[in-house]
Amino acid sequence: MDILELIQSNLLTPIILFFLFGIIAARIKSDLKIPEAISEFLPIYLLAAIGLHGGIEMRKTGFEEMLVPMLVAIGLSLLFTLNHYQILRRLGKFNIFDSYALASTYGAVGAVTFSVGLSFLKNQGVTSEGYLAAILAVLEPVAFILAIFLTNMAVSKQIRTKKQSFSGDKVSDIDMGMKETKTKLSQVLKESITGKAIVILLGSIVIGYIIGEEGFEPISIVFDDLFTGAIVIFMIEMGIIAGQRLEDIKKVGVFLTSFAIIMPTINGIIGVLVSTALGLSLGGAVMFGLLLASASFIAAPAVLRHAIPQANPSLYITSALGITFPYNIIVLLPIMFTVSTWVHGEEAIDLFNYVSKVFI
Amino acid sequence: MKLYDVKLLTITCEILAQKNVIDILKNHEITGYTSYEVDGNGEKGLRGQGIQAEKNVKVEVIMREEKLSAVIEDISRTLFPDFTIILYVSDVGVVRTEKF
Repeated sequence: MDILELIQSNLLTPIILFFLFGIIAARIKSDLKIPEAISEFLPIYLLAAIGLHGGIEMRKTGFEEMLVPMLVAIGLSLLFTLNHYQILRRLGKFNIFDSYALASTYGAVGAVTFSVGLSFLKNQGVTSEGYLAAILAVLEPVAFILAIFLTNMAVSKQIRTKKQSFSGDKVSDIDMGMKETKTKLSQVLKESITGKAIVILLGSIVIGYIIGEEGFEPISIVFDDLFTGAIVIFMIEMGIIAGQRLEDIKKVGVFLTSFAIIMPTINGIIGVLVSTALGLSLGGAVMFGLLLASASFIAAPAVLRHAIPQANPSLYITSALGITFPYNIIVLLPIMFTVSTWVHGEEAIDLFNYVSKVFI
Repeated sequence: MKLYDVKLLTITCEILAQKNVIDILKNHEITGYTSYEVDGNGEKGLRGQGIQAEKNVKVEVIMREEKLSAVIEDISRTLFPDFTIILYVSDVGVVRTEKF
């Protein structure tokens, strides 16, 4: 299928239509909104469903298979974060804090985007590897940890130079600042690992692994049949929030707007190609690409506001939620699907042999 | 009944600064506080709608006057530059002064 045709048919799926509907509802200042408890519940539900599926699949395939893709995903995520930083800092002229915050937002993964991707594949009648759920869990804190580490390095360097020029007075203040920097990183690490997203995801993967296909049968009506419907409800909420922020997008600026579209495209396509080379299936490669293309907008503010409070949160929330998220689910998903179909149609097997020769 | 004079410190801030505020209070050996989620409008625009992480909270703390200025100084120094935060102090009377 042609890319444009695929984008067009993707536009007419309930997920996208309800997202656009949410934007319209926000624009006409309707008081429509999803009750808070439900919009807090839905991400947990989606992650539980993703985790259960992942766990069940992993029981069938075993763990060995996921090791290489996971390490590659972590490597790429770190590499992309550094690359984002250089682009934002040098070309975009953002300050250190905004650059690192944005770089890690785009290096991190979006669980909602991931859910939409799964249901997109379901729509196309394609499956993906279950262990991608585990990669989702592992990737979540990686980019943040790197960005926070580098920011703190930069800050303590600044403090050190200041200390030399002051020499003597105010030492206690500066020492305190240094200590804060060190404890921050371990705190963030602990918080993100015990954070609700990772806990529910890993917990469900383990439970899915234990119960297997037969154990899943009685609960499949909730965690399988309702999955796409639940995303649809959540998309109304996402649409409303994105719609409320449309004005903010103007403040984001041309540079960041193009960054928010171009970087995910490049990252996503690299992801599709690399994962195809690693031997992932057609659907698996799309999801792998989506992991690298997506930006975090639920976890990011909670993590970054504490770790890099100097960064302007409206920059990273607006660009990730208002620009990248709609672009990813409407345009980039079909593009990656088409690319994945191309590479799987022709050279998938050759590439795999080539790569396995290099790696092993 | 006799009322004793103490200070009420009220801090309205973004929800993600709440932990920092409470940590500062803890550093000054103040463990009692009341907090609730609020919304409102201000310099940073309408807040308290949409994403959970963008909500506002109001933290109320009753304390003796001796601790007040140190607490306020800590909050101003560490949180004012980076967070959405407003604080004010009022005089209140309590019955059981030994609780604070």
